[in-house]
Amino acid sequence: MRRRFDETLETPIASLIDVVFLLIIFFVVTAVVEKDVVDESIRLAQAKHVAAIDQKDPRTVTINVTEKGDVNIALQPLNLTQLQQILTATRKQSGDSVPIVIRGDGRTVYGHIDGVMQAVGRTGLYRVRLAAEATGRGDQ
Amino acid sequence: MAQKRRKAVSAVQIPMSSMIDVVFLLLIYFIVTQKDELSEAHLAVNLPSPSPAQEQPQEKPNLLEIEVHPGQVYLKKIPQTLPQLKETLSRFAAYDSEQTVIVKTSVMAETHELVSVLDLCKGLGLTRLNVLTLQ
Repeated sequence: MRRRFDETLETPIASLIDVVFLLIIFFVVTAVVEKDVVDESIRLAQAKHVAAIDQKDPRTVTINVTEKGDVNIALQPLNLTQLQQILTATRKQSGDSVPIVIRGDGRTVYGHIDGVMQAVGRTGLYRVRLAAEATGRGDQ
Repeated sequence: MAQKRRKAVSAVQIPMSSMIDVVFLLLIYFIVTQKDELSEAHLAVNLPSPSPAQEQPQEKPNLLEIEVHPGQVYLKKIPQTLPQLKETLSRFAAYDSEQTVIVKTSVMAETHELVSVLDLCKGLGLTRLNVLTLQ
């Protein structure tokens, strides 16, 4: 009887370690994602014909434009003057070939995107991309 | 000999519970990494140069002009539906995929309308895409 009781007390260490690893990996992965904050409220327009990107230049600056036309970088809201200041600083630091990705909500009017594009254009950065959700196979 | 054989049989038993944990671990790893790769396509566009002094002389023959208005797309001033536009553009692209496409977009048009036109051009191999704004 007593022996049986002792046996039940043994904790399964092996699976515990697995769970701990699981947690560690979870936090590592979320930490990496956080570096590249994505505005989840934005629903990108769909692109059926182009391939999804597999590699991104680490210098890429992603500008989010919400449906209402609010602009943010990494969820930090900005007005166009602030945006231009940030981009000018980026250009000074990393040169004018820094890729700029505009993640505009598909339902926002183009006028909002245009404002951002003009701000980018004024800073002299020329590699501008519009982000879209790749829904097709990307056959060219 | 008999003892040795028994040992071999017991060694074959795999600890299933930790294996399941590992499998879950892999599963969650893939789910998390998959989500991040939510396939995003980037459509490169050329911006109009900010200072008018740098404007290049216009090369008339090789310009394809598309206008995007709210709910309507025009190719060389002729209204087109997207399938029509695709068909016409594919003919132009087959002739010369290097030609410059100018997409003039109305500020009131929704972004997805512009993106679908850019996507169409990219899909047909037209890569010189310029976006201008119609006031």
